[in-house]
Amino acid sequence: MKINQRTAVALAMAAIVAAVLLVAGMGRARAANAPDRYLHVRVDGATAGEKACVNVPLSLAEKVLPAINHGDMHGGKVKLGNLHTGDIDVHAILEAVRSSPDNEFVTVQQADQDVRVAKSGDNLVIHVRSKDAGKEKKSQQVDVTVPLSIVDAVLKNTVDNEIDLNAVLRALENGGENFLVDVQDSDQTVRVWVDGKNDPN
Amino acid sequence: MPRAEKEANVILAKLGVGMLCVTVTAGSVALSEGLVHVRVHEKAPNGTHLSLVVPGVLAPAALFCIPQRHLQQASEQLRPWMPAIQAAVDELKDEQDMTFVEVVQGEQHVRVSKSGGAVVVDVDDPRETVHVSTPLRAIGSTLEELASKSDQPIAQ
Repeated sequence: MKINQRTAVALAMAAIVAAVLLVAGMGRARAANAPDRYLHVRVDGATAGEKACVNVPLSLAEKVLPAINHGDMHGGKVKLGNLHTGDIDVHAILEAVRSSPDNEFVTVQQADQDVRVAKSGDNLVIHVRSKDAGKEKKSQQVDVTVPLSIVDAVLKNTVDNEIDLNAVLRALENGGENFLVDVQDSDQTVRVWVDGKNDPN
Repeated sequence: MPRAEKEANVILAKLGVGMLCVTVTAGSVALSEGLVHVRVHEKAPNGTHLSLVVPGVLAPAALFCIPQRHLQQASEQLRPWMPAIQAAVDELKDEQDMTFVEVVQGEQHVRVSKSGGAVVVDVDDPRETVHVSTPLRAIGSTLEELASKSDQPIAQ
């Protein structure tokens, strides 16, 4: 069978279009299969069964935050109060912490509370234990685990008292599996974490 | 068959096809933004049981029935948040079905979730059960319409 020049050009064009569509489709499929990360906040009350859960896909937050231009938030950045570190080079301190072996860096023991800051693997771990001091102040337990990559993202993206929340979200997306905030007191338990499940239950 | 009768049949057939086209087009337009479902079930004896299904396309249109002066303040408050809302609505369309907020307190249970292309709010308390399902497209267009209201002068 003889194929004339016009048919050959048409076939070649069709093959190119098919290849482009295939590549575009594969790209989309890959993007669709990329695992999404979710920020979960769960508050459990003292009464059994009492709870409040908030689940936010990080990709959603990443799209929405830059669109908020209100109050102290502009283009995905939030203005903090006066954040003076004086002459302290926090980046150098973080680098020193990162390269040092697992260790307990700060231990403060007071009459009403104990504070402990340590490095464990690639995470910064903070434990605060408040002791029961009568009616005014009840005992409280705070445990925070922050991957150093997230601390790094916060520090690198804080310029002129402004934190780039999107950079922090990206860091959470890439290495937030170990991020955990856990606050417990006699009235409630609050837990904040990141994982790949859209249902935290 | 006499010629006059044949012509009448042809005209009737054309009318039928025309009506069918109008019905299909109207149906497509009405359903283009999905359906808003509202279900209220009062648990008390002789309580109200309401089930309402409205085309989402009517939601922005309903704003025209509300006097401008009542919408002005809501519109002004909404306006700065519109880019964020639009971004959220666009992103939510691609998100998997999930529960965003769930609160259980005493005998009250509130859940806000995404199901299909709609945002669903379920409230269950000892007095009533409320279910509202609103298509994302209808939310976007309704809020856009509401935000645009602050442009217009208030009718006296």
